[in-house]
Amino acid sequence: MASLKSLKVKIYSYKKTGTVTKAMQAVSAVKMRKAQERALSGRAYAATSLSILQRLSGTSDVKRHALLQTRTGKTCLVIVTSDKGLAGSLNSAVIRKAEAEILRLNLKKEDVIIIGVGRRGAEYFASRGYDVKLKFENIADGVSEDEMRMVTDKVLNWHEEGEVSACIVAYTNFISTFEQEPVVRQIVPIDPEMFALMVARIRPAKGKYSPVPADEKAVAPSVYTIEPDADSVLRVLLPKLLNIAVFHAHIESKASEHSARMVAMKSATDKANEMASSFTRTFNKVRQAAITREVSEITSGMEAMK
Amino acid sequence: MSEKTFHLIISSVGETHFDGEAVSATVPGSEGELTVLAHHEPFVTALRTGSIVVRLPGGETKKFPNSNGILEFSGNKAVVLL
Repeated sequence: MASLKSLKVKIYSYKKTGTVTKAMQAVSAVKMRKAQERALSGRAYAATSLSILQRLSGTSDVKRHALLQTRTGKTCLVIVTSDKGLAGSLNSAVIRKAEAEILRLNLKKEDVIIIGVGRRGAEYFASRGYDVKLKFENIADGVSEDEMRMVTDKVLNWHEEGEVSACIVAYTNFISTFEQEPVVRQIVPIDPEMFALMVARIRPAKGKYSPVPADEKAVAPSVYTIEPDADSVLRVLLPKLLNIAVFHAHIESKASEHSARMVAMKSATDKANEMASSFTRTFNKVRQAAITREVSEITSGMEAMK
Repeated sequence: MSEKTFHLIISSVGETHFDGEAVSATVPGSEGELTVLAHHEPFVTALRTGSIVVRLPGGETKKFPNSNGILEFSGNKAVVLL
């Protein structure tokens, strides 16, 4: 049986680990809440730009716009993962989903350009011989819009130059604290229906932020004046929509990352506590055995001296 | 008689700069400066670089910088996307 000393060391280290994971859990919980709030603060923006697009999409100008056309060329994959691990299966799930999509679209390695947002995804694809053109790391939870615009502008640039024909985003959608779903969405060519789905999914299924406020259900008017013309409005609107898509992919991933980490840390804390108490029990047994042995040694010694 | 107001939201991705009642909003439209009042007809326009001046009930004014936005007005509600 293990010595008392080594058991003591083990119990101590398990308790220490438990404290650390508990602290990480608390930090993640706060960060998750913040990320969720931020995701929702952009909702009015997303909903409005979408409704403008939907109203404009009836006109022929929209259908002729380059960003809505399908053509041949490379595909840009924006993969949004976390920088750090300790978040359960979060990152591997997104990467698997992205790989499945590449297979489904029948793309060769040379046909894919990767933009890695977050270290994990970028490293994974870089080590497998994909062309990782851009890599963003250490993006704060606050995600500034400018950072996201860098991604959007790059994609738009490539699209304009004809290098890229389509763009897909792989990220984790936040459903609830215990449920995150890896998703792949096509953002170029722009599909109004896909955006509608994306905007609808901004709201989590459960919890504080799930009910839809009444004013968001406003009915769109049928008569609409467009000034000066649909084309110039679209020129401003479409990049904004892309920006929203990229921004939301990121913010949803952040919320998912923190909730996944929170859950992972919660189970780590539970496990550490369980191990500590089981070792404490063994420790007590060993200690009791040692006392019993000593007592019997003393009594037998006394018996012998009689 | 109280002033007629409309609901104005000025927001950029992930941040709302203004959300409340306004009497008028003067914006740099792509075809020249324009002022929208309450119950404007539904319309949408692209904006040029410049500043948006919002007049609040009570006469107070607020100014917001704008670079490349869109204004949408429908159902007595205006939304400016920066």
